[in-house]
Amino acid sequence: MASLFSVAALIVVCVTTMLIAFYGLRISRTTSDFYVASRTVRPWWNASAIGGEYLSAASFLGVAGLIVLSGESGLWFPIGYTAGYLMLLLFVAAPLRRSRAYTIPDFAQIRFEDSALLRKLTTYLVVVICWLYIVPQMHGAALTLSIATGLPGWVGPIVVAVVVCVTVLSGGMRSVTFVQAFQYWFKLAALVIPTLFLLARAIPEHAASERAQSLSTQLESVTTMNMYETISIILALLFGTLGLPHVLVRFYTNPTGSSARTTTVIVLCLLSAFYLLPTTLGVLGILYTPELGAANESDATILLLPGRLLNGVVADALTAIVVGGAFAAFLSTTSGLVVSLAGAISQEFFNGTVRGFRISTILATALPVLIAVLTSSLALAGAIGNVFAFTASTICPLLLLGIWWRSLTAKGAIAGLLTGAITCGLSLSVGIFLPTIDLWWVHLLRQPAAWSVPLAFVVMIVVSRGTRRAVPQNTDRVMALLHVPDPSSNS
Amino acid sequence: MQNPEAEHHSQPDSSPVNNLPGRFAQQRPQRVRVQAPQDASLSVTRQPPEHTAEEFYVRQLIRSQLRLACAVAAGLLALLVGICSLLVFWPVVSDIELFHIPLPWWVLGVGMYPLIIVAGMLYTKAAARNERRYRSISRG
Repeated sequence: MASLFSVAALIVVCVTTMLIAFYGLRISRTTSDFYVASRTVRPWWNASAIGGEYLSAASFLGVAGLIVLSGESGLWFPIGYTAGYLMLLLFVAAPLRRSRAYTIPDFAQIRFEDSALLRKLTTYLVVVICWLYIVPQMHGAALTLSIATGLPGWVGPIVVAVVVCVTVLSGGMRSVTFVQAFQYWFKLAALVIPTLFLLARAIPEHAASERAQSLSTQLESVTTMNMYETISIILALLFGTLGLPHVLVRFYTNPTGSSARTTTVIVLCLLSAFYLLPTTLGVLGILYTPELGAANESDATILLLPGRLLNGVVADALTAIVVGGAFAAFLSTTSGLVVSLAGAISQEFFNGTVRGFRISTILATALPVLIAVLTSSLALAGAIGNVFAFTASTICPLLLLGIWWRSLTAKGAIAGLLTGAITCGLSLSVGIFLPTIDLWWVHLLRQPAAWSVPLAFVVMIVVSRGTRRAVPQNTDRVMALLHVPDPSSNS
Repeated sequence: MQNPEAEHHSQPDSSPVNNLPGRFAQQRPQRVRVQAPQDASLSVTRQPPEHTAEEFYVRQLIRSQLRLACAVAAGLLALLVGICSLLVFWPVVSDIELFHIPLPWWVLGVGMYPLIIVAGMLYTKAAARNERRYRSISRG
């Protein structure tokens, strides 16, 4: 019964997503439409789409899971995701929009016309980051589907991959914008409804009895992370958001630089509203499903809570709603990533044609599915946190210094990117295999952002200083392009 | 700039916003690659910066925008790290409770978001003010 409901919800989400994509197909006609929705997307649409794209498996399932797993420390993740957007607003939103760069490699090329190597390197980094980001979505899909319906784990990733391919191939960016705007509101609803029902059940139960007294003891009993790890995660999330390829693509669909800022402020509101829900559910999870934290299955918290607190048809229906919302999360984030990944691959290898974009889309989806089926899940929010640490140590310094520092040189940028990628990548991959013991060097390896981000910045600055004769001649003009306000925003 | 080649661009208009390569700026069938002369990096011995008024105003604009962004970011970072260390070094705050939920949970779970939104709104206003000032100066 429960699985029937969930399968129905899953089918509804997938079919609706594809229908909106087909509807978008009728509108998109030119190559420009196909890539970036011709930049006619209104701030509210665009903000909903960004919210829809950004709220991934890590946000939908992972945040509550982390709160169950590490208590108070888990609360830092949604704060970091939101504050990361503030950083994006402060340093990147308007200049990046004005640069007319569609992808990060485009930005690198606009800033350093002569350096084909830098463009190539950023392309490869974008590809790696996108793949690292898609794999947890696929893991989330596998987990959700096998918990809700009992189907084998590989079905979830395949479903996500097929729907994403159909969506992206049929309509490109325009339809993806519609799909994602729809999916933000769907995800919000898919958490609001269960949260209200569960609170209505839980609050009377707690207020009446002495269980209320135990609430705070239970909240305090969960073991938290140590201070270095927490600060490192805060840094990774704050600076990592700046470099997320699928987030940056979105800014191209704003008509002007100042509308890019308006959009970002709306996104901040949408994200804040959303994150209150997984936080609430996480607190309920500590009360009702604490054993999941011990069993390292905390990502399933939101899926299991309705069944734990309620029974009968209501519980089944609520679980189905959550399953639908979770799939909306996997689909929207994955399609956003696939669009920017396919954009990067097709411009690098297929001269940016629509046909090249289609081939790249298939390539972009196939490999993560394979990886996801072959590997097993880490804690979702933790895995995504690692990707943030990686982008914070690579793309973030390139963007920040590229936008704000005229003395950056291509050589400096390349050196910094390589340093960040190698040190952060190595220490993360070593850190995965280390046991969680309380030694300072283990902490440094498991959460490298606090040292690898400053290191990448320092290398970029020092090498640029050393090669100061190589500052491109057109730097002043590029800087003016990035920062001079758009004439149209005057009115 | 003494080198006229470096200034040459494929697009005829000369405003700073329009003379750089934008992939999809216009619906072109193929991208027109704009490149600096191949020997540019060899021939350039750091040229003295141009001191046109326009250039100066742009630099001023960039500086004021950067200062603003850094101020907000530093405030945010200080706040976050501050709260984090407060919780570690002064755990007594956890004894304060509201509806049986410890204070840090309220601060982190609910209280931070309005702050972030307000910071974003204030920044947007201030950044637009900087741009208005630039426009009025550079046109007047």
